Amino acid sequence: MGLPDILFYVFAAFTLLFGLLVVANPFSRNPVTSAMFLVLTIISMACLFVLLNAFFLAAVQIIVYAGAVMVLFVFVIMLMDLKEEERRRIKTFGVVTGIVSVGIILSVFLKSLLGCGDSCSLPAVAGAAPVVEGDAHSLGLLLFTKYDLPFEVISVLLLVAMIGVITLSKKDLK
Amino acid sequence: MNASLMSLEISVLALGLLLMLADLFMPVERRPFLGFAAIAALTALLIASFSGYGSCSISGTAFNGMFVNDALSLFFKRFFIIAAILVLFVAVQFADRIAVGIGEYYSLIVFALAGMLFAASANNFAMLFVAIELITVTFYVLVSFQRGRIASLEAGVKYLILGALSSSFMVYGIALIWGTTGKLNFNELAAVANQYTGEKIFLLGVLLVVVGLGFKIAAFPFQIWAPDVYQGAPTPTTAFLAIGSKAAGFVLLLRVLFVALPVVAAHWVNLLIVMSAITILYGNLCAIPQRNLKRLMGYSSIAHAGYLLLGVAAIAGNVHDATAGGAAILYYLAGYLFTVIASFTVITLVVRKSDTEDISVLAGLYQRSPLLAATMTVAMVSLAGIPPLAGFFGKFLLLKSVVALGAVNQGYYCLVFTALAGVVISLYYYFGVVRAIYFSKDVTDLSPIAVSGSAKICIWLSLAGILWLGIFPNTVLNLAAEAAKVLSS
Repeated sequence: MGLPDILFYVFAAFTLLFGLLVVANPFSRNPVTSAMFLVLTIISMACLFVLLNAFFLAAVQIIVYAGAVMVLFVFVIMLMDLKEEERRRIKTFGVVTGIVSVGIILSVFLKSLLGCGDSCSLPAVAGAAPVVEGDAHSLGLLLFTKYDLPFEVISVLLLVAMIGVITLSKKDLK
Repeated sequence: MNASLMSLEISVLALGLLLMLADLFMPVERRPFLGFAAIAALTALLIASFSGYGSCSISGTAFNGMFVNDALSLFFKRFFIIAAILVLFVAVQFADRIAVGIGEYYSLIVFALAGMLFAASANNFAMLFVAIELITVTFYVLVSFQRGRIASLEAGVKYLILGALSSSFMVYGIALIWGTTGKLNFNELAAVANQYTGEKIFLLGVLLVVVGLGFKIAAFPFQIWAPDVYQGAPTPTTAFLAIGSKAAGFVLLLRVLFVALPVVAAHWVNLLIVMSAITILYGNLCAIPQRNLKRLMGYSSIAHAGYLLLGVAAIAGNVHDATAGGAAILYYLAGYLFTVIASFTVITLVVRKSDTEDISVLAGLYQRSPLLAATMTVAMVSLAGIPPLAGFFGKFLLLKSVVALGAVNQGYYCLVFTALAGVVISLYYYFGVVRAIYFSKDVTDLSPIAVSGSAKICIWLSLAGILWLGIFPNTVLNLAAEAAKVLSS
C-alpha cells in the first residue's frame, strides 16, 4: 500500500466524518456550523479528485462548491430566521426511517460491490505509468466537440432558471 | 455534423426567446395576445413537420450520434407540439389568474416544449439528463407560478425537492453505467450490454436510471409527489405535467430499455409487470375518496401511467418485436393527450369564479353550459375506457399486446386481470364526476358560464381528437406502428 492509497483512505474517512457532522452534529445544531462542515466535506472530496489526477475537477470543486455555492448557503441561512431549527426536536420516526433507508441502500451497494468480484478492479499492468485522464485540456476538447449539444442545451436551462428566479422573487406583482 | 436535423428544436427555442423579447416591449394589457402568437407559431411548426418539407422530418443522427431523428422521435415531437398548442389555449383561459408575468409563463411553456423535443431525440445518457433537467427545472417554475397562492408555492417546493432527489438518483445511475461500460451512447451501449448483464454495479446503475424516469412518469413507488403537485399547480401547468412530462418520461424509458439495453429489459419482465400492476391499483384505489378535481386527475394520471406500463412490460416480454406494445403506448398517449386537455379546459372555465376545486362546483353544469358538461362527460367516459372513444381503443390495444404474451409468462395473465379490475374501479370515480354534473341535488349557482371563442376552439379540437382517434384509429395507429419499429431489436 503506497502513499496514495493511504491518503485515499484518510480523505475518504474525512469526507464521511464531515458529511455525518453536516447532518448529525451532536455538539451543535447551528445551521452555520453545518454549512462549515459541508465546506470541509467538499474540500476532502477535492483532495480525492487530486489523488485521481483530476486537478481541474478538484479546482472546480473548491472554487464553485466550497466558494460560490457555500457563500449562497450561508447568505440564505443568515437571511432566514433559523432559531426555530435549533429548538426543533428530532422525531424518532424520521430517524428510524432514515436509518432504515440508508441501511437498505448501503446493503444494495455492498452486495453489488462485493458481488462483482475481480471484474470491478482494473487489470494491473506491471510497470506501466498510470494514464492521466480528465485534465483541463481534454475536458475542454470533449465539452466543445463530442458533448457540444448537451453543453449548449445547458445554457437554455440556465436561462430558464434565471427567468424563474426573477419571476418568483420580483417584488411588485404587476 | 448535421445540425439542420434540429430545425424544430432551434425554432422552438427561438420562439421562446422572441416571446420574452416581445413581452418586454408590449404594454401590459396586450400581453395575453402573446399566447395566440405562440399558438400560431407552433401551429406553423406542426404543419412544417407534417408537410415533409424542411429537414426536421429527415431521419439521421447528429453530434456523433447524440441526437437522433427517426420515426419514434418524429411521432413524439408532433405529439409534444400538439400538447403545447393545446396547453397554451388553456393558459390563455387561465391568464386572468396569473398575477405576474403572463409573458414569461407562455415562454416557459415553450422552453419546456424545447426540452421535450430534445428528450424525444436523445440518444445518449448525457443528452437524456440535460433534456430531462430542462423539462424539470422549467416545471419547478411553472408549478409555483401563482406565487400569491400558498398551495402553488407548496406544490413547487415539493416538486423541487423530490425532483432534485430523483435527478440525483438518475445521475448516479448514469455514472455507474458509464463507470462499468465506458459508453454513454445508446447504440454503442446496446452493442456491449451483453457482456455486462452479470455485473451487479451495471444493473444497479440501470435500476437507478429507471427510478429517475419512474419519477417523471409518476409510477409506483415514485408517485408520492403527483397528487399534491397536480392539486397545487396552476391548471395549465397541471395539464402539461400530466401529458408532456409523462410522455417525455415514456419516450426516454422506451429508448433506454429497448434501444440501449434490451438485454436488461428482457430480464426485468417481472419487475415491470409488478410495477405496472401496483401503479394501476394504487392510482385507481386512491382516486376513489378524492373530492378535489385536480387531485382526482392526479391519481387518475398515476393509474394511466400504470396502463402505459402494460405496454412497456409487453415489449420487455418480446424485445425483438416491439410493434404491438409500442404502437399501443403511443396510441394511448395520443388519446390521453386530448382527454386531459378537454377535462382541464373545463376545470379552468368552471372554477374561474369559485375558489374551491371541489367536485361540487360541477353541480348543474349541464344547465350552466351544455357544451362544457358534454365535454367533461366525453373526457371522463374516454378516461374510463368506454367505446367508441379513444381511451377504450387504447386500453384494448395495450391489453391485447399483453394477453398475446400470456402463454410465455403466467404473470401477464395476472397483469391483465389487475388492469381489468383497475378499469372497473375507475368507472366508479369517473362516473362520480359525471353524476355531479347531471344529478346533483344541491345546485346553488345556475348562472351561465361564458365560454370564449378560443376556449371553444380548444374544446372542439380536443373533442374532435377524442372521437377521431376512437372511431378512425388507423391513421395514428399506422404512424405509431411505424415509430414502434425503432424499438425492436
